[in-house]
Amino acid sequence: MIAVGIGLGILIGWELAPVRYAESGPHTLRQDYRTDYVLMVAEVYEVQGDLAMALAQLVTLGDGSPAAMVQEAIAYAQEAGYSPDDLARMLALAEDVAQLNLEGG
Amino acid sequence: MNLPEPNAPEATRKLRVTPPPDRIESQPPAEKRGAWYLLTGVVLGLVLGLVYAWVLNPVVYRDTAPAGLAEPFKERYRSMIAQTYAATGDLARAARRLDLLEDTDPVYALGAQAQQALAEGQPAEAHALALLASALQGPIGVEPVPTATLPAVPTRTLLINTPTP
Repeated sequence: MIAVGIGLGILIGWELAPVRYAESGPHTLRQDYRTDYVLMVAEVYEVQGDLAMALAQLVTLGDGSPAAMVQEAIAYAQEAGYSPDDLARMLALAEDVAQLNLEGG
Repeated sequence: MNLPEPNAPEATRKLRVTPPPDRIESQPPAEKRGAWYLLTGVVLGLVLGLVYAWVLNPVVYRDTAPAGLAEPFKERYRSMIAQTYAATGDLARAARRLDLLEDTDPVYALGAQAQQALAEGQPAEAHALALLASALQGPIGVEPVPTATLPAVPTRTLLINTPTP
């Protein structure tokens, strides 16, 4: 009976009412959603040209460097067949972020 | 050995001694005790299972959808969608992105968040959120049309002759 109870407890704990952490943030997003997030940042950056804001928005995606995040997104977008316009936006953002990294040392 | 006689009244009295009724009820039968043991086992196992599933080896979230984000991150995602719409004006794309958040009422969620942003002193974000909420309430892809203006009608002027000084 203890085994039945344990099984029931695991079923509840993993399936029916799994524990949800407050840190289930953008870094847990699937790659296609992460790519779309980067595209949103690139779309705003294209119009507003505010690189500092773009970097701040990219940082919310995780602990990695913004340049790496944009590169990952571009790689996925190319694989998934994003439109040339969207790719161009992301490439422009990647270029400026990389440039900033070079200037910053 | 000095054994009592079987028919002696003292011996008969001893044999007939039975426990009082309250003592009989306080000792549950074996079946009743068995049921309690089973239930205790299930409850104990349940507690152990929950400790294992919630504390020792909890579910690790990976490859989630925007709808699975914690509420503060959902708000950030919503804000990002609104800012993108404010920059590009692409309502169809913004609506598709908002669908990913699986809000019961996206317009209400945007409006509430706009008010919150305004209260927190972020007017630009509030404006973007309100703009998207407002756009979603109208049909997608329809540009606002200016209202028709009536042709100007000249008013009659009444000439009054005034004496010249």
